[in-house]
Amino acid sequence: MFGNIYCKRILVSVRNKGTLIWTWIFPLMMATLFYFAFSGLQDAELLKTIPAGIVVSEEYESDTALRTTLQAVSDPEEGFLELHTYETREAAAEALTSGEIDGFFSLENGSPKLSVSKNDLNQTILKSFLDQYVQTRHAVISLLEKGDTDVSQILDLFQTETWTEELSLSKNVPSETVNYFFALLAMVCMYGGFQGLDSVSYLQANLSPLGARRTLSPAKRFPMVFFDLLAALTVHMACMLFLLAYLVLILRVDFGTGLVPVIVTCLFGSFLGMSFGSFVTAISRAKEGVKVAVIISVSLACSFGAGMMVSGINYKIAKTLPVLAWLNPAARISDALYCLYYYDGYGQYFLNLGILAAMTLAFSIVTAFFLRRQRYESI
Amino acid sequence: MIHVKNLVKRYGKLVALDHFSLDVQDGEIFGLLGPNGSGKTTAINCILSLLTYDKGEISLFGEPMSPTNYKSKKKIGVVPQNVAVFNELTVQENIDYFCGLYVPEKAARKPLVEEAIEFAGLADFRRFLPKKLSGGLLRRLNIACGIAHKPELIFLDEPTVAVDPQSRNSILEGIRALNASGATIIYTSHYMEEVEQLCSRIMIMDKGRAIATGTREELTALIHTGEKLTVETPALPPAILEQIRNLPNVLRADHGDGHLKADCKGDGHPIIDVLDLLRQNNVSFGQVYSEPPTLNDVFLEITGKQLRD
Ligand SMILES: Nc1ncnc2c1ncn2[C@@H]1O[C@H](COP(=O)(O)OP(=O)(O)OP(=O)(O)O)[C@@H](O)[C@H]1O
Ligand SMILES: [Mg+2]
Repeated sequence: MFGNIYCKRILVSVRNKGTLIWTWIFPLMMATLFYFAFSGLQDAELLKTIPAGIVVSEEYESDTALRTTLQAVSDPEEGFLELHTYETREAAAEALTSGEIDGFFSLENGSPKLSVSKNDLNQTILKSFLDQYVQTRHAVISLLEKGDTDVSQILDLFQTETWTEELSLSKNVPSETVNYFFALLAMVCMYGGFQGLDSVSYLQANLSPLGARRTLSPAKRFPMVFFDLLAALTVHMACMLFLLAYLVLILRVDFGTGLVPVIVTCLFGSFLGMSFGSFVTAISRAKEGVKVAVIISVSLACSFGAGMMVSGINYKIAKTLPVLAWLNPAARISDALYCLYYYDGYGQYFLNLGILAAMTLAFSIVTAFFLRRQRYESI
Repeated sequence: MIHVKNLVKRYGKLVALDHFSLDVQDGEIFGLLGPNGSGKTTAINCILSLLTYDKGEISLFGEPMSPTNYKSKKKIGVVPQNVAVFNELTVQENIDYFCGLYVPEKAARKPLVEEAIEFAGLADFRRFLPKKLSGGLLRRLNIACGIAHKPELIFLDEPTVAVDPQSRNSILEGIRALNASGATIIYTSHYMEEVEQLCSRIMIMDKGRAIATGTREELTALIHTGEKLTVETPALPPAILEQIRNLPNVLRADHGDGHLKADCKGDGHPIIDVLDLLRQNNVSFGQVYSEPPTLNDVFLEITGKQLRD
């Protein structure tokens, strides 16, 4: 019985015109649009220099390696840093708080440290730079220790080009473009809401003739809705994988990591989207058109907040209205993808997934409460 | 088979069913006849436990009915008034889907689906999506979805709305066949001809109340109106109409559109008297025919309204 429900529901979803347009074609068009609109953007972004500070202590003066490297990367022609010098740590910290610089370096007990006040693109670049520097220095020291003193090799390591090149070739390419695609994926996740909408209205006798008809059959309610939702999820994930394939294979968007965690993110996002759609459908008897409008507008608003249209708006919201940013599922989805892209650790990534799971659970509990009823006042 | 006692259902202030009682025996074709809004659909939905109700008892197959009485639900077939099919599934897939809610095994389902397609005359349309079907074909699909699993008890809520006369006859035929093979049938309609032709027992409903129940003969016997006489008379002087009205067996008489219509009392047969009177007065007349009273007359006499307005 449930195999039949599952298979037929897949057919229903695949053949549904609305779903086809909103979740298959529309995102594809948006992706293509982003691709052409922003293909020039990445290089432009890289040319901008980042204001950074250095605390000039005695230790720093004597660390020639760091000094020359910093000088090289803040070369007005080729460098990517706009280096400000400070006499004391306090002065640098003050400049950081006032927003004059995005971060500053200081030497503490021989090792360079980076201090930043927030966490976005520029800070990530500074951090990667520092990591790279530390690694390179390590390499030089071991070269020297091996006694293999090929000066040109060492000089190569400290070339400005090396820094910029290394930075842009590493997996963590600082790119503004990619965030548009993250937000787009988040939007499609939220469009899973349509699947939730259909599943609930096919279940509830007071929402559709089909709901009434199925309620009269001997199929038990929860298995029925479970297999419906499972079929819906299957179709929705197929749609996400299709979009991912298009992004990766055709548009050559780099997710900076293996695809598995990206797919896991999409899965969590789809759960959220579907439970959101179910929730919207279950709590009211408004016309289906109204519910569709709610799902579309909320999804678009959330993905807008996640930076789908205006670059950086997600950072601004996170800074001014952090609660809103945390409650925006699209922002959590794109942030999870962002974490995969830029960070080595998985802490924040899992935090994002956790928040998505919690929201999914909340929506599902309320929905289940409404679905428990089996007899209706009126239909 | 179905037992309903003193069912009361309110929608807010509106009383949709007012102490409604119903007993349907095994093997009957039971007709629920009533004008729009008389509570037929509401009664069915209450019986099937889709709606809450304020008062009353309902049992099916000798057991109280509830939303989780899956054992009873398995034996029931429903053809709802609002067509309930998936727009994205073809005729055959739809029938298979609904049949599949009752019959899990695919192999067992296959012949049932074929039979239902045959039954509804949809063989030429099996790959059509519902959108491509005409209104009548869609109704037929709705019926096929409801009866494919060979239920013991079938509810058909106005199944023939918008179906053309030929297909309607074949559907009525089919319903008789279902009944002959053992199914009990509850059939609602506001077409009295259909109910008269098909049903072994009939309940006439109005404003949520059962106003009369019985076989067609029992129902027509309830009322004063007997035979109904129609005589084609292009011109009828008012004085003669008055004389006809005063004939002993005539209940009422009227002339219009070149026809004289006279309702007769109970068992009286005033046809000879009427024609004699016309001949004596040199009133020419053409066709003459007489009909037995219909359920419309029953409805008219009990409620003072026409069944169909
Ligand atoms: N969901 C509802 N909310 C409020 N009133 C309703 C609702 N459904 C039906 N009614 C009212 O209940 C009464 C009975 O309606 P019902 O649909 O049972 O009639 P019906 O005999 O099936 O009519 P029809 O021949 O038009 O199908 C009507 O007066 C109708 O207006
Ligand atoms: Mg009705």
